[in-house]
Amino acid sequence: MFTAKYMHIYSKEDKEQHSFTMQGSTRRTGIMTDVHRRFLQLLMTHGVLEEWDVKRLQKHCYKVHDCNAPVEKLEDFINNINSVLESLYIEIKKGVTEDDGRPIYALVNLATTPISKMASDFAENELDLFRKALELIIDSETGFASSTNILNMVDQLKGKKMRKKEAEQVLQKFVQSRWLTEKEGEFTLHTRAILEMEQHIRETYPDAVKMCNICHSLLIQGQSCETCGIRMHSPCVAKYFKSNAEPRCPNCNDYWPHDIPEVFDPDKDREAGLSKSNRKSLRSRQLL
Amino acid sequence: MSEQSKDVCDPNFAAEASNSEVCGSPGVPGGPPAPASQAATLAGLDSPPPGPSDAPPASPPPQPPSDEDDPKALQQAAEEGCAHQAPSAAQPGPAPPAPAQLVQKAHELMWYVLVKDQKRMIIWFPDMVKDVIGSYKKWCRSILRRTSVILARVFGLHLRLTSLHTMEFSLVKALEPEELERVALSNRMPMTGLLLMILSLIYVKGRGARESAVWNVLRILGLRPWKKHSTFGDVRKLITEEFVQQHYLKYQRVPHVEPPEYEFFWGPRANREITKMQIMEFLARVFKKDPQAWPSRYREALEEARALREAAPPVPCPRNSVSED
Repeated sequence: MFTAKYMHIYSKEDKEQHSFTMQGSTRRTGIMTDVHRRFLQLLMTHGVLEEWDVKRLQKHCYKVHDCNAPVEKLEDFINNINSVLESLYIEIKKGVTEDDGRPIYALVNLATTPISKMASDFAENELDLFRKALELIIDSETGFASSTNILNMVDQLKGKKMRKKEAEQVLQKFVQSRWLTEKEGEFTLHTRAILEMEQHIRETYPDAVKMCNICHSLLIQGQSCETCGIRMHSPCVAKYFKSNAEPRCPNCNDYWPHDIPEVFDPDKDREAGLSKSNRKSLRSRQLL
Repeated sequence: MSEQSKDVCDPNFAAEASNSEVCGSPGVPGGPPAPASQAATLAGLDSPPPGPSDAPPASPPPQPPSDEDDPKALQQAAEEGCAHQAPSAAQPGPAPPAPAQLVQKAHELMWYVLVKDQKRMIIWFPDMVKDVIGSYKKWCRSILRRTSVILARVFGLHLRLTSLHTMEFSLVKALEPEELERVALSNRMPMTGLLLMILSLIYVKGRGARESAVWNVLRILGLRPWKKHSTFGDVRKLITEEFVQQHYLKYQRVPHVEPPEYEFFWGPRANREITKMQIMEFLARVFKKDPQAWPSRYREALEEARALREAAPPVPCPRNSVSED
């Protein structure tokens, strides 16, 4: 029956690579080989990875398990895996960093509400601190909430009383767990958090959230038109106004007043990174 | 890191450390090795419950698994955890939940275990029950079994009970070969600093470093054997197991010492990948001193560097996976 048909896929030994096509429901036919498994393991280990690293990771997994098979196009590779993960309510999600447009990937859990996802790692008052920080970030004009403003909320937290000193450390915990990013004493959402929580944020704060006029997804940091107020992610601005000498607001046609950033070029970015590391002393990067 | 080393900031690093051996308490030997059969159980189930993509209806009722597959120990552990009900004679007992709910719990548990492992935190059975299984305690065995199957089929990971005594699980890679794959991505591990700290202690002493000495040094970094660290997780496990498995360290019992004490040596991989000169540079950086403040060690490092240069002239500096970036 239904069960038996799919039992067959799952009880076959791992060494085999079976490509299995069925009329009409390609979604359930995930091809799970050791290559995919290792890829998933490593992606999970790293949490969040940039596209270039993901491609290297994919090649590494092929090399380890199956030298002769052609390396599948990344998009298809990931879609394949996602078709298997679908029933587990997890997904390899692709996102773009809001500040410089780097494509990144993360394995995210779609099932539970994000705050409860963190629940087993953080105490009640810590979760509430995150909630408060999140609200400040969403309400802010720049997408950043200052450390001071967040710490001033400690008295309003649910649960055990938290001192400001403690709160500072909790904020650092959030940074290390990649829920928040810090820049010069101000905090914003880490790209990974945006990936995982976008749905939840849009549902919870429907009036306060900002959206990008171009890609229509959640906007935390970006540029805005000073006349009509629409907003765009910096990488979206870069793509939209690429090689446009006179950038104008897509909504009200007024002159776009901000600097137009460069479109992210993965090859250029890698070169820049490599030459930087040649100049920088190797030692300074070994320190804890 | 260097800021905290003020009190052990001179070539008497070795002396300090060896003094502290006397007063330090010996490290507790690593957790009891899990019997090999336990590993087989969770992964090798030949008749798994229907695969996760199936609709719920066909899932088995929450009955004990076929006993030939489960070693007693696992059963006991699971039962111990699951059996903390308060069965009162008056109550008929809770109705079994819908299979869909068990499946969902299994998925939640899977994610929970994956995240714990990602953060290098200990996967503790009582935590699993408290945080995920909750009121489904009675069915935790079947939930656990389903989770293990999913982890094996989809991630190629074995959820293994590594210590019955402490009820700890860990995720073990089921795929061969096992390598330090983080290195494959040249990840900038903070582990490097931790490892170098231990290797340099061993080097400076000129012989094995007692576990107590190592902990005295790690104390400078705020690391303790019993405390979980936000970056390193279970530090003790990291240095006595992971670094050892990765052949960067050797962890051996000191012979003829009671109660048992253990010491660390450089592992074969450290010998291959890390040069003495790198250790000297590391020490110099950490203690803000010239490497020549450790004269005999510096001489050794120079000799080794010379030997390496002579052995392979085209390679100007030895590349290795630990410090490479």
